[in-house]
Amino acid sequence: MNELTKTTSFVKFAVIAVILSLGGIADAVYLTVHHYTGEQVPCGATGGCEMVLSSAYATVYGIPLAFFGAVAYFTAFSLAVLTSFGNVKLWNLFGLQVTLMACFSAWLVYLQAYQIQEFCQYCLVSAGICFSLFITFAASKILK
Amino acid sequence: MSEKKSSLPVAIIGVVLLAAVGGGAWLYSQGGKPPVKPAGTNANKTQNIDYNTASPGAEPAWSKGSNNASVVIEEFADLACPQCAKVTPILHEVRSSYGDKVKFIFRQFPLEIPAHKNAYDAARAAEAAGMQGKFWEMENILFKNQTLWQPVADPRPLFEDYAKQIGLNVEQMKTDMIGMPATLRVDADKKRGKALDVNSTPSVYLSGKLLELKDTASENLKKLIDAELAKNSSAPAVPATNASSSASQ
Repeated sequence: MNELTKTTSFVKFAVIAVILSLGGIADAVYLTVHHYTGEQVPCGATGGCEMVLSSAYATVYGIPLAFFGAVAYFTAFSLAVLTSFGNVKLWNLFGLQVTLMACFSAWLVYLQAYQIQEFCQYCLVSAGICFSLFITFAASKILK
Repeated sequence: MSEKKSSLPVAIIGVVLLAAVGGGAWLYSQGGKPPVKPAGTNANKTQNIDYNTASPGAEPAWSKGSNNASVVIEEFADLACPQCAKVTPILHEVRSSYGDKVKFIFRQFPLEIPAHKNAYDAARAAEAAGMQGKFWEMENILFKNQTLWQPVADPRPLFEDYAKQIGLNVEQMKTDMIGMPATLRVDADKKRGKALDVNSTPSVYLSGKLLELKDTASENLKKLIDAELAKNSSAPAVPATNASSSASQ
């Protein structure tokens, strides 16, 4: 595969990743703001948001996990944007990051299911986005 | 042309960063406005529950302030809950700034979830400390160290260490902690919480009305207390009904 074809192949996946990351940023920023305003989040679908977001797992040294999520999504977004503009070498770095994010999300879903025994819809959306980002990267490698 | 192209992704990244920070700041500024109460939260459910006739909780309750206070703040807290560790000191501080006009009652509400597996024992440790007159000291040290004792398999050595630090008779505390009186007090508080449909912590009531979490911020809480005091100023002082007895001043 020549360089131009390779670049074109990754670009379409990178564009999908850009869109997904934007969703992740919005979700994580919303939860970060919620943490600092202390407002209850609307939680119709799953009903366990407050239980999850006030659990011992929701913060690290007082900083909400959602803040770290926002930083991670923004980094993934930046790498995907740069890839979509032809900087293909960064795509592997993106892959490494979203793999770690997907693993961490899987652990968070496990905590909700077995440790907290409640689900927060915003956390599930975030996990879904992380898995989708990972699948996007994996597909780019398999289907190239 | 190529220079333009290479600066475009950086511009896009910059715009999204600004939008995220700006959007976050805007959302944060909206936090001061009355929130939309989501259907199904305990904020709605408690509208129909009679605060004054619900199960009374442990008696006498752990409280600060005068029994004749016209305004009562009652908090249901889990000692393993990070948000409770933030809110409780604010409630203490606000209460003390009003002297005898406001009474604060602390209720144990250890959540029954694996993530807070040591919360129930912590509640009993606080009750045991209370039997030696050091409930508030224990509450304070447990909140401050919750990230240390919460994840461990057996938190009792840490509780004993805290007991030593606050000057308790450790052996007595160990016995009291597993004794029936401490357990019954925690269970009584939990029963009251359940009767009021408390399903998350902290759940804070101001004169019988469940507050939104944002209203536990110092300034917001003071405004609500001022409004309550103004409302009650012409009326005779109303002691808290079934939570009026005081274990500690």
